[in-house]
Amino acid sequence: MTKMNCGHVVDYLNGTLSDKEIREFEEHLKTCADCQQILELTGELPYLAEPIEPPAEMKTRILANVFEEDAGREQQPEPKTAAVPMAKRMPKRNWWPPLIAAVLLLSLLGNAYAFFQLSGQQEPETAMQEVNLQPNELFEGAAQAKLIREDGSLDVVVSADGLEELRGDEIYQVWLLKEGQPIPAGAFKPNPSGEGAAYFSLNENTEGWDTIAITREPQAGNELPQGDIVLSSEL
Amino acid sequence: MEKSSDFMLYGRIQQKDKAALEQLYDRYEKILFSFLVKMTEDPDLAEEALQEVFIKLWRGTGEYNESKGKFTSWLFTMSRNVAIDLIRKRKKPMVPLEEIGDLVNNESTVEEVAEWQEQKEQIETAVQELSGEQQKMIQLFYFKGYTHEKIAGICDIPLGTVKSRIRLALKKLKKSLHGVQERGAIDD
Repeated sequence: MTKMNCGHVVDYLNGTLSDKEIREFEEHLKTCADCQQILELTGELPYLAEPIEPPAEMKTRILANVFEEDAGREQQPEPKTAAVPMAKRMPKRNWWPPLIAAVLLLSLLGNAYAFFQLSGQQEPETAMQEVNLQPNELFEGAAQAKLIREDGSLDVVVSADGLEELRGDEIYQVWLLKEGQPIPAGAFKPNPSGEGAAYFSLNENTEGWDTIAITREPQAGNELPQGDIVLSSEL
Repeated sequence: MEKSSDFMLYGRIQQKDKAALEQLYDRYEKILFSFLVKMTEDPDLAEEALQEVFIKLWRGTGEYNESKGKFTSWLFTMSRNVAIDLIRKRKKPMVPLEEIGDLVNNESTVEEVAEWQEQKEQIETAVQELSGEQQKMIQLFYFKGYTHEKIAGICDIPLGTVKSRIRLALKKLKKSLHGVQERGAIDD
């Protein structure tokens, strides 16, 4: 048996030791200050990297994929039958179903699980529209919206970044408009990096929306906008 | 405090607590992403690596316990190994550095930068106390994940000495960093 000693610290870091060797090295580690210090250093070395702001939607993508992958391992998805394929194929690298799933998982909506199931299975009969919302002249941020029509419901997922910080009870409110008449369609507060996402689902009155807009409202829960439109797009 | 709460979060993650995983994600997203971009020089690959890291955390593969040292050391080492695997499998050409600007935005809050900056300055100072060869060792071994053969070739040293030179460089760096941190504490 090779005695595990300081000479193996590099192999330990590289993950090239067998399970048995790992246990033996960890025994050695208990009594070796040098190796302990090298290990401690690995908790600090990454700070040599230049700080890079993570992409705005990465968190939603990653967590969705992590949880989805896990759900997929526990139960085999049932094959979907008799679905009439509708509209366009989704792009190959399609982040949106995971994004929607993630928004749901991360939100406190009670029916999150049911929708998660749906979004994992029903790609062929889903129709999507994606728009980039344009900021007004004074506003810095950017937002994207995805509208998903599926089985008679309309789901709206908005993700935004570069948003201005809010004060007090202010909130970013998403609206759908039909001939100038708005309905609220989700709201969010951005995180400290200025990123935020909202999810909204309509089961009736899903057709005919011509505009999507985000306003900065003085408080949550307004049925009609009070604040200025900061981002908007035609649909 | 930090340590015990990481450990607590990890415990909750093992109980399949999604909120705990999200909290841990928020805590380490930026440092891990920055670290992984430095290693891979490719934000897409860095994201892939980060996802793999969190899949491993969620599945509980490569379990952490206190005999593995500090949680951050373990997490960073695990992330580094994930990145090395992906780098070695990478087939597509690397994204030129000037294109990285489009995929990420560089606005950080002042506070975050200040905190990170201090840590970064300390370790950079410590790195400068190393010899040129030792700096190269750490760059090639730690950040680039090169094989010992490749390092021996690049540095023109016998293969048999690579491991011990890496170890000495790491040991020296830790010692220097300790010195820098102590000086910092005295200055304060």
